Amino acid sequence: MNPAPLVTALLGGVAALDAAPVGQTMLFQPLVTATLLGFVWGDLATALQVGIVLQVLAASTQPVGSRTPEDYATGGVVGAGLALALAAHEPFTMARQGCALLGTLGGMIAAVGGVPLIKWQRRHNEGLARWCEQALRAGDADPLGRAQVAGVVLAFAVGVSYTALCMGLGVSLLSGPASHESIRLARAWALARPLWLGLGLAQILSAFLQRRLTRGVVFGAALLGAWLFLVIGAH
Amino acid sequence: MLLQATFNYERQQGIGWAWALSPALERVVPDPVERRERLAEHTAYFNTQPTLASFALGAVARLEQQRAEGTVDPDTVGRVKGALGPALAAIGDRLFWFTLRPFAACLGILFALGGTALGAVVLWLTYNAVHLTLRLFGVGIGHDQGPSVLGGTLRTRLEGLVRRLGLLGCALLGVLVAALMAPGIDSSDIAFQATLVGGLLFGMLSALRSRPSPTQWALGLGALCLIAGWLR
Repeated sequence: MNPAPLVTALLGGVAALDAAPVGQTMLFQPLVTATLLGFVWGDLATALQVGIVLQVLAASTQPVGSRTPEDYATGGVVGAGLALALAAHEPFTMARQGCALLGTLGGMIAAVGGVPLIKWQRRHNEGLARWCEQALRAGDADPLGRAQVAGVVLAFAVGVSYTALCMGLGVSLLSGPASHESIRLARAWALARPLWLGLGLAQILSAFLQRRLTRGVVFGAALLGAWLFLVIGAH
Repeated sequence: MLLQATFNYERQQGIGWAWALSPALERVVPDPVERRERLAEHTAYFNTQPTLASFALGAVARLEQQRAEGTVDPDTVGRVKGALGPALAAIGDRLFWFTLRPFAACLGILFALGGTALGAVVLWLTYNAVHLTLRLFGVGIGHDQGPSVLGGTLRTRLEGLVRRLGLLGCALLGVLVAALMAPGIDSSDIAFQATLVGGLLFGMLSALRSRPSPTQWALGLGALCLIAGWLR
């Protein structure tokens, strides 16, 4: 039995934990999870292609105001996992590029779909918090510890289940198109990848610049200097 | 580490905060009934940037110690907690969400473009060099400096770090875009480079508005690319 799908689902749970309930050490970032999955599935190249695009989009997603940002923790795992699962039986580069497109789109959809789940968990935790205060006032010895364990277990279980569900749905729905429409999908990937990278990098640049001229000049100088260096180096 | 384990809309980090403070209260409040009462008070609303919460935790632990000694009144603890949370969040969100996280991501992506696992390692290490250091030492610094933890050099240092990382981030993004624009001087890359420039321009325009989100824009672009791939 191939353990990779199981490891992918478990990594979805770990990423969901690291995103907010435990640590926030950036283990949940799409580039990190995609790299780990690349080793698990034995295809680092496809994993990195998807991971880089999802990482750029994740980094450009900011929790502005009360808005709950897209869930790129499980979205990143689903995206890379789906691309790798679809590409596992595809020997040709073009077919793998098509799988990368489907995986990236799947990851984005999973990231958007994960928002209601996060909101549901937060609403569920409201009851846990009220119970905790009542139990403390009633003389319970350790309701805080039990509430914390319950919160962690819930987040892990939701992460694993949601990743497994998205992976299962994605593989069953997209295996056919990935095999039979690889040329069209590869064409779409060649177009979408630079567009997504450009879109995400521009959003990050806008956050860094903050309409300051000095920063714009630094960006321009670094871009020109590095470009000249790379062009001269290539020749 | 578990400050947000039971994060919720009503009290936000309240339960995690009380749980994190419980070892300190165990030391300074020997009576279990009184200790539970104080913990129950601490389960009320609290919210700040999770990494910098360690500074507030240290400062409030010190106040609880002084409260147990009778040198501080109960209201002071609540007031300090209520003031430190938003103040730390204001600088913490800028440092971690808007600066360090995208900076570490760009650095990681730059290394990952080479096709190795180094990018993920660089991303993780860059972020955690700041994140884990502040988390580990924050409680001690907060305890030493008490409620004035943000009044001294700490704020200046964190503000300086935000400024420097922002400037470095602009330079890093310039290098990253250059690396994508000139991956190899051959004609097959021209389409990639032209589309990348298109994406950058579109991204700069879309950044002027907060909605739709970048992901929603990306999904729309993805759908258009699928249609284009089918029709071409």
